[in-house]
Amino acid sequence: MTSPEQSELSPSSVWPWVVMAVAGLVTFVAAMSVSPDAVQGQLSRIMYVHVPAAWLAYLAFGITMFGSAMYLWKKSLKWDRLAHSSAEIGVFFTGLAIALGMTWAKPTWGVWWTWDARLTLTAIMFFVYLGYLALRRTTDNLEVRAKRASILGVVAIIQVPLVHFSVVWWRSLHQAPTIIRPEGPDMDTSMVVTLLIAVASFTVMYVAMMIKRMELAHLEDEITIEEQSHQGPAAGDAVVAPDLAGGV
Amino acid sequence: MRRYARFVIPAVVIIGVLGFLMVNLSSSLVYYNTPAELQARDASDASLRLAGRVVPGSVVENEATVAFTVEDCDTTVSVVHVGAPPQLFQDGIMVVVGGTWDGEEFASSEMFVKHDEQYRTDAEDYDRTDHSCTDS
Repeated sequence: MTSPEQSELSPSSVWPWVVMAVAGLVTFVAAMSVSPDAVQGQLSRIMYVHVPAAWLAYLAFGITMFGSAMYLWKKSLKWDRLAHSSAEIGVFFTGLAIALGMTWAKPTWGVWWTWDARLTLTAIMFFVYLGYLALRRTTDNLEVRAKRASILGVVAIIQVPLVHFSVVWWRSLHQAPTIIRPEGPDMDTSMVVTLLIAVASFTVMYVAMMIKRMELAHLEDEITIEEQSHQGPAAGDAVVAPDLAGGV
Repeated sequence: MRRYARFVIPAVVIIGVLGFLMVNLSSSLVYYNTPAELQARDASDASLRLAGRVVPGSVVENEATVAFTVEDCDTTVSVVHVGAPPQLFQDGIMVVVGGTWDGEEFASSEMFVKHDEQYRTDAEDYDRTDHSCTDS
């Protein structure tokens, strides 16, 4: 069952894995070497993973919207693969941001979870994008799948500004933004620099993950096309409606 | 026309619902009250939340309770909390307490520390004064 395209499409390089490992290591070293926050102590180091994870969720869903819009415009499956790959990574990092946020909330706020605006909207965003991934499984027709997913991929982006500005628009237990605010960062420079290093590393990690995931998505599409082209007649094809004379 | 409608109608519906929620819920979906809002309320058994900065020096720990004053915008409220406060509870930190208001004192049964957006490596650099009012 070797297809001729296999060599051309086979996941090639090791370098995305190397990039991911290096980016993870850089984040770890940066987060562990900066002085901790005076009030929170060592707990404040969670920030250097929690914030980049949340940033990647926003970025990934933004790319999903871009890929979805491009698919609707150009009708090329490569844009759908971009949207799909990015959504999957976005869901992972949304889940990571929630899990890290909860482990951070328990010792600082005193509670794992509360239904404030930021937490509730983030949970909704997580489930809507899980729904996006589920929607992709409702058909194996690549064009239909891409179209359905693209519409949701465009519409769902509205949640990103909603989640981000929830702490400004509504009262919440989650604090307001520290870095991007009119008065400038309300954080010591050493911590700002560390956070920026972490965010940059995570962004590089995202690019490497996307390269790998897109390769995989391409292979998946090739296999689906291959399978569908070889499909013989279905068992039910032999059954035809009885031709009743004078029937309706 | 049909393709256009298929795309635009869901978008309009979703934006409409979200807009409705934002306009109508922002007044009722209030996570906490400020001290001034609480002072304006009548005593009631309904449970609600109050947020404010712990006035430095006001904390009195008893056997099973901790009493303190919170302030925001120069309005203060006395709070008696039953139970152990979260570990970051201290003078000058923002807290959200949940409980009931009898018109004089807030009886708290749950307390969250509302860490603010300041991050400092040196405790001296924290701004713990009640410099700003919680926006409404």
